[in-house]
Amino acid sequence: MKKKIWKYLTLLRVGILEEMQFRLGAVTKLFGNIIYLIIIYFLWKAIFAGAPTEVVNGMTFEDTMIYLVLASALFYTMEMYVTWDMGRRIKSGDIVVDFLRPMGYIKFQVLSLSGNTIVSAVTSLLPTMIIVYLITGGGFALSCNLLFFTAAIMIGTVLNYFINFFVGTICFYTESIWGINIMKEVIVLLLSGASIPLAFFPETLQKVVYYLPFQAIYNTPLKLLIDNSLSLQSRMSMLGLQLFWTVVVGCISYAFFKISVRRITVNGG
Amino acid sequence: MNKELKKRGLRFYASIYFKIIAQDFKSKMSYRADFIISMLGMILTNISGFVTFYIMFQNFETINGWNYYEMLFLYGFSLIALTPMQCLFDNNWNLRYAVYDGSFIKYCFRPINIFFYFISEVFDVKGLGQLLMGSLTLGYAWHNLGLQMTVGKAFLLVAALLTGSLFMIAIMNLAAATCFWLVNSGFVMVTMFKFTEYARYPVTIFQGIFRGLFTFVIPIAFVAYYPSYIFLRPGLPVLTCLSPLFGIFFFWVSYRVWMLGASRYSGTGN
Repeated sequence: MKKKIWKYLTLLRVGILEEMQFRLGAVTKLFGNIIYLIIIYFLWKAIFAGAPTEVVNGMTFEDTMIYLVLASALFYTMEMYVTWDMGRRIKSGDIVVDFLRPMGYIKFQVLSLSGNTIVSAVTSLLPTMIIVYLITGGGFALSCNLLFFTAAIMIGTVLNYFINFFVGTICFYTESIWGINIMKEVIVLLLSGASIPLAFFPETLQKVVYYLPFQAIYNTPLKLLIDNSLSLQSRMSMLGLQLFWTVVVGCISYAFFKISVRRITVNGG
Repeated sequence: MNKELKKRGLRFYASIYFKIIAQDFKSKMSYRADFIISMLGMILTNISGFVTFYIMFQNFETINGWNYYEMLFLYGFSLIALTPMQCLFDNNWNLRYAVYDGSFIKYCFRPINIFFYFISEVFDVKGLGQLLMGSLTLGYAWHNLGLQMTVGKAFLLVAALLTGSLFMIAIMNLAAATCFWLVNSGFVMVTMFKFTEYARYPVTIFQGIFRGLFTFVIPIAFVAYYPSYIFLRPGLPVLTCLSPLFGIFFFWVSYRVWMLGASRYSGTGN
């Protein structure tokens, strides 16, 4: 048991070290993120300037900005290239090497990705949160909601991984990595509320979106952080739903993966 | 125009272009599923852009004084203006790999224009999905705005679209050319490509230096906003009139920079 935990911690450490190696990547992410934020600031400012009332769908300009800024920081924190990686490794045949490791493929990936996520959370999400808090003068509460937020990010990361993993597994059947990836990205971005807050969605669409797993990735943690009106019970049920989706998507992905692995054909000897 | 191009004549280059492209088509057609999935991915991306506008306008009546159909006009316009870059100049995305691993040297040994040869190697078919979606969106907006279609207007529209395309191509040429000077220049292309997504919004939403930045430094304002102004609003801004000239000039600059980078290229290893 002790040995096992040691093994896990080592992998987590490798993930952390790996992420810290790519400092240029981090600077790039930061730069891209700042420009994105400037653009959405102007865009939403113009949008709200044209609205007849200050509050639209229960959200003011400031609420929207807090949501979108944190959503973008969260997006960069949780960003992973599992689908691209799997697609490339399936195409080249290198994926076989991953199967030979003395540890399950999924476990291995989750652990090293968690390491990456921890670094990104400390280097990009945390500073963003501090800046948002200072600028807005307490745009979100500093109490137990932070605990819920942290828990939701952890579950959300795993859920995000399983969705990526499912899509990556499709690459066993087709070599169209670009097409598969772009479809996944578009669907997740739109339906998770990362680009437009879900509160703005028309009612029917909102209902549909709440029955899909995507909103549990970004919207659940953000809501838990920002929305102070939530009762403890509804907070717990939101986490529960997130967990439910993680287990369901996890099981489906795992089964799909097990079936697909049998078909693998690697070129060359 | 480049000296070599003049020497060889356009007909020579046109015939070569189709020969090279035909090879690309043959290799692509052997992956038919990939073609269909990529096309679907492209169409889905554009639909999601459409849905974004739809959701926005469920809550707000105008964005900076532009209504739903006018915004769709800009969106459709920008999608069509993106198409030539996507279809014809897609090989720019591979430039940094070719430079990095040394395979770029093969382009230097051909007796034809390097830029021409490199760019003509790939024709990206999925860009046609974008053209389809862009045309549908533009047509839908055109119809709902009650605009008239005359021969003159059709001519203007084509000219305006070509202008927008020139800016688009030039931005990405410059972004790709950075790889001749920077080793890890992938992010320049990715960032620039992200900017072009915002070409669908009127540049007037930006204030102060950012408006200047997006008009003159990273000229996304010229991709859709200025060229399509003549169809949507009365009056004629100076920048709209000058946009075709700017476009040609900017494209020429991007070509020169690209060629300058290529001439600096000395290969990897010996």
